[in-house]
Amino acid sequence: MTLLERTRRTFLRDGALGLGGLALASLLAEADDPRDNPLTPRRPPLPARAKAVIVLHLSGAPPHLDLLDYKPELVKRTGQPIPESFIQGKRFAFTSGVPNLLGTPQKFRQRGQSGAWVSDALPGIASLADELCFLKGMWTEQFNHAPAELLLYTGAPRPGRPSFGSWVTYGLGSESRNLPGFIVLVSGGVLPSAGKSAWGNGFLPGVFQGVQCRSGGDPVLYVSNPQGMDREMRRLSLDALRDLNQMEGTLHPETRTRLAQYEMAFRMQIAVPEVMDISREPLQVLESYGAHPGAASFANNCLLARRLVEQGVRFVQLFDWGWDFHGTNPAEDIDVGLRKRCQPMDRAVTALIRDLKSRGLLDSTLVVWTGEFGRTPFREGRTAQSKTLGRDHHPHSYSMFLVGGGIKPGITYGASDELGFYAVENKMHVHDLQATLLHLLGFDHERLTYRFQGRDFRLTDVHGRVVHEILA
Amino acid sequence: MLRCSLLLLVGVTLTSPALADVKPRKVDFTRDIRPLLADRCLQCHGPDEQTRKGRLRLDQREAALVGGRSKRPAIVPGAPDKSELLARVRTHEATEVMPPPKVNKPLSDRDIELLTRWIEQGAEYAQHWAYVPPRPAPLPQVQQLAWTRSPIDVFILARLEQARLKPAAEADRATLLRRVSLDLTGLPPTLHEAERFLNDPSPDAYERLVDRLLASPAFGERWAVPWLDLARYADSQGYANDPDRSIWPWRDWVIRALNANLPYDQFTLEQLAGDLLPNPTREQLIATGFHRNTMTNTEGGTNPEEFRSAAIVDRVNTTMAVWLASTFACAQCHSHKYDPFSQKEYYQIYAIFNNCEDANRLDDAPTLRVPLPRQEQRFAELDVELLRKLQERGKLSAAPLSVREKLDREIAALQRKLKPIEATTPILKELSKPRSTHIHVRGEFENKGEQVTPGLPAALTHVAPAGPINRLTLARWIVDPKNPLTARVAVNRLWEELFGVGLVETSEDFGTQGDLPSHPELLDWLALEYQRSGWNTKRMLRLLVTSATYRQNSQVSDELAQLDPNNRLLARGPRVRLSAEMVRDQALAISGLLSRKMFGPPVQPPRPLFALAAAFGSTTDWTASPGEDRLRRGLYTRVRRNAPYPSFTTFDAPERTFCNIRRLRTNTPLQALVTLNDPVFFEAAQGLARRIVAEGGPTTRQRLDFALRLCLTRSPTEAEAKRLEQLYEAARQRFASQPAHAESIATQPLGPIPAGMDAVELAAWTIVSNTILNLDETIARR
Repeated sequence: MTLLERTRRTFLRDGALGLGGLALASLLAEADDPRDNPLTPRRPPLPARAKAVIVLHLSGAPPHLDLLDYKPELVKRTGQPIPESFIQGKRFAFTSGVPNLLGTPQKFRQRGQSGAWVSDALPGIASLADELCFLKGMWTEQFNHAPAELLLYTGAPRPGRPSFGSWVTYGLGSESRNLPGFIVLVSGGVLPSAGKSAWGNGFLPGVFQGVQCRSGGDPVLYVSNPQGMDREMRRLSLDALRDLNQMEGTLHPETRTRLAQYEMAFRMQIAVPEVMDISREPLQVLESYGAHPGAASFANNCLLARRLVEQGVRFVQLFDWGWDFHGTNPAEDIDVGLRKRCQPMDRAVTALIRDLKSRGLLDSTLVVWTGEFGRTPFREGRTAQSKTLGRDHHPHSYSMFLVGGGIKPGITYGASDELGFYAVENKMHVHDLQATLLHLLGFDHERLTYRFQGRDFRLTDVHGRVVHEILA
Repeated sequence: MLRCSLLLLVGVTLTSPALADVKPRKVDFTRDIRPLLADRCLQCHGPDEQTRKGRLRLDQREAALVGGRSKRPAIVPGAPDKSELLARVRTHEATEVMPPPKVNKPLSDRDIELLTRWIEQGAEYAQHWAYVPPRPAPLPQVQQLAWTRSPIDVFILARLEQARLKPAAEADRATLLRRVSLDLTGLPPTLHEAERFLNDPSPDAYERLVDRLLASPAFGERWAVPWLDLARYADSQGYANDPDRSIWPWRDWVIRALNANLPYDQFTLEQLAGDLLPNPTREQLIATGFHRNTMTNTEGGTNPEEFRSAAIVDRVNTTMAVWLASTFACAQCHSHKYDPFSQKEYYQIYAIFNNCEDANRLDDAPTLRVPLPRQEQRFAELDVELLRKLQERGKLSAAPLSVREKLDREIAALQRKLKPIEATTPILKELSKPRSTHIHVRGEFENKGEQVTPGLPAALTHVAPAGPINRLTLARWIVDPKNPLTARVAVNRLWEELFGVGLVETSEDFGTQGDLPSHPELLDWLALEYQRSGWNTKRMLRLLVTSATYRQNSQVSDELAQLDPNNRLLARGPRVRLSAEMVRDQALAISGLLSRKMFGPPVQPPRPLFALAAAFGSTTDWTASPGEDRLRRGLYTRVRRNAPYPSFTTFDAPERTFCNIRRLRTNTPLQALVTLNDPVFFEAAQGLARRIVAEGGPTTRQRLDFALRLCLTRSPTEAEAKRLEQLYEAARQRFASQPAHAESIATQPLGPIPAGMDAVELAAWTIVSNTILNLDETIARR
């Protein structure tokens, strides 16, 4: 904690990161002093179970009642108006009046030894049921995409606060010498609703923000040299730059930091394209994920996530657009549309978990599969008369799963009521999820703080409880 | 061990070991006790009545002398042993000891010793320094009086002499020229300006240089940027779909106001309440756009009232943060834990802003029609005509149809003519029938508590405003000379921009949780001087940059770096990395590519494609502006909140979602990639190479000299020239055998090689230029 504290104070006192370096580290040695380099790896204050996190976010919020949370009673009552007591005084995004209940058209079965209910739309994930920890009593306060995503990633429903990955990078630095510590991959051609705030640094120094990698062109902006400049030429120019910078005699601490950063940039120029080039993967690996070199797909990103974690990247956040199943068109239908939409996702997620496991990475890598909220147990108002079935946004109950990195395998924790309206048993708020994930990374969520405008802020705001019941 | 180094680090900044011997023996409440109380006690025994424990309040002396529920006085002045506070902090009983162990903020033996001595000495409280109006202080006695040029220097020197330090020598003229040019205009000096200043033998050459810079139109462009950060200025509405917003006329107003040196009190009044001034001008209405930079959320399914309320909250927080450096925002959900602001007072300010007409609408109404730059006259002519016809149309309801139709056609024609020369900008407008305001319990907008009326915080009510309280009274109260905060906060920000750190380091927080000023008397002197001058900002800046303190060289010995790493004592000149905008503007200026076109709608320099759309919105990629618009100064670059210009973000430009008081400066490898490889920076290197070949003279040495004078305002040393020559030769030889590479390096993206120039030579100079533009000395102002 003291180290963190010191780092934090250094940022504040110096006003410039890296200005506080007092020890005259040799010039091109790694700047291992956190005062020289805020990304220097730091040990977490408490014992950690997870070293890396991969978040698989299905932007728009997948219909959990058709994938993970089986409600036979709801199926029975399909078409009946929802009991008024449930909706009195509640607001929904696109539904008013008294809507009709909608049971799932998907088939559910109990899976593996643990007997978890999983829908047939997710055959691969279902086959891993005994590895996974299903959370079926999740809830949030926000019923619109952007605020719900912000709450999930920054602890507050409006922009301006640091994201989860930024907090973690601020606390732990970056394990990788050649790659950013916090990387974001987006598929589906659309940013998540929270936009860049979902990986923004908020009021933390900019160095902790997530680096959004592109699927076309330079994966990290400007990592390639200009056309016509080969690596040797770049080296010649950086050598000259270093010599010229050193000619001053006594170097300003900030100058030393900058020298080190140019060397890291030079290493990144090799490391980034290398790690992002999935064409080097064996065919059967590509096949298992459903990945195709050159595409901008969720499958590619899942494979990249594994490659990045392997190289020491601490926090990898994936967003896949297209899970907002209102039923406003056939692709957003919770019956056939959903099965089609799930197929490539299910395949890639299954391959990722298996791949991590076979490489011995799953024990130290926490995988989070989630949306930003749930979907209603009733039909969405606008499409109630159409043939396509859809559900509205629903904050009061949803489901997700965790695997690896110190999570108890093969359990289902929490439950919603028999209509799937409210989380009722072992409820878990998104702040509890954040507290628990931070705990696995070796942090007390109440003590990972940063002082901004007179107040010590933290990811979990003034809430959050570590849910020990789901820890291995 | 780590704890020790923390103390060391913090120690040098405020209580340098060298200062220990001059520290008075008397315990000082402000310096020694208030921080302890604030950090360890006030969370539960402070101003917030909701969370107060044991009915004990320690932030006020009278209350502490009475005690809490136990009726035992927490403090008995002069009698530590009778003081319950000390009994409770000294005990080892886990259930008794304060602060409670679970809070995990134990008091050290030294802390307890301080508290004991303080109570022994009478337990005097002092009002928080920032809430006491600035007082004129006599100039301190100093030894090296000859060094000083202004009272600023006397205050700085007195502190240095206490610490047994000497000020640094004056920076050489070239360094000073580059420093002050970047500081005042955000641009490096031109060769012409350098020649003029460096060859000016008159004793006031520097002062005259400063006056030229202050009068330059570039001044307003440079100083607008920090104000745009404060105002969270952006060209989009924010949130998920983040549609475009036209509010650049307000940005232009800021540039013009700064260039015209609008006094800071007037600058304040017009932005907060220009619409409420008698017969407001168009400019005064545009000025109210300051608070129309709040975000708008029109995502499907949202409750507009929720986001209207969020915008009002933002206005309250921003006003109090920008002008008073107050963390008033804390009182949104509960009374402030440390500073004397109640939740009720928060909603009294909220009530003032709650009467604004705008209500989270996609069209940003109410808005004002304004002419595009350089179209003012034509706009005025057509607009008068339009107004006349509209009035006529109103009177003609009984006229024959054909007459009315003719008029309608004329009106439509006028509107068509106006459209390409006008824009709209959002403004503030007061509702005629006020909205009622309630406290939002726990800050939740639908959870309505007690009803409140407009009011001003009691702790800061230095002057009772006359008449009803509205935005104008609020603005007048802010700039009232008796307001203890406004002038201090403003001059501290100017100081911070120039020196890298404010006299109060926490420029965002002058409350009890913020840092104490490093030079309190100086801060007060500057604040009073600012008011006395009629809030004359250019004059204040002139005072600062002509001081001996500012003119020092910025070289730092290991010893001094250790003693005062952050240069709080100012035994050397400032040395700061350039801001995001300046790094880019400088490179373009040096290369001769920078467009000096001012004002107008935001521009879109080329940027890499992400091929991603905003959620429920349009693509986040943009088409590059044609012609010179892609090479304008950074502040004209379109600020889209969900897709900020990447290289600015990398260089720590804030997100512009909310008010940002202080940019933190980082150093990252991603920045190196930007200045090495971003096409804009590489284009600048190519432009510089062409200038070198065209204007630099015939020999390599002459050309290197030319290049360094452009970038650094100085000639290279012999060693530097040799090293660069070596690089040039190596590059030339490589490119001679790689003609295709040479061609690319010299032309992509700048364009075909000018007649008479050689690709290999240009390519080699481009490599040299790229290197020089990345020198630490280039990226920093020293």
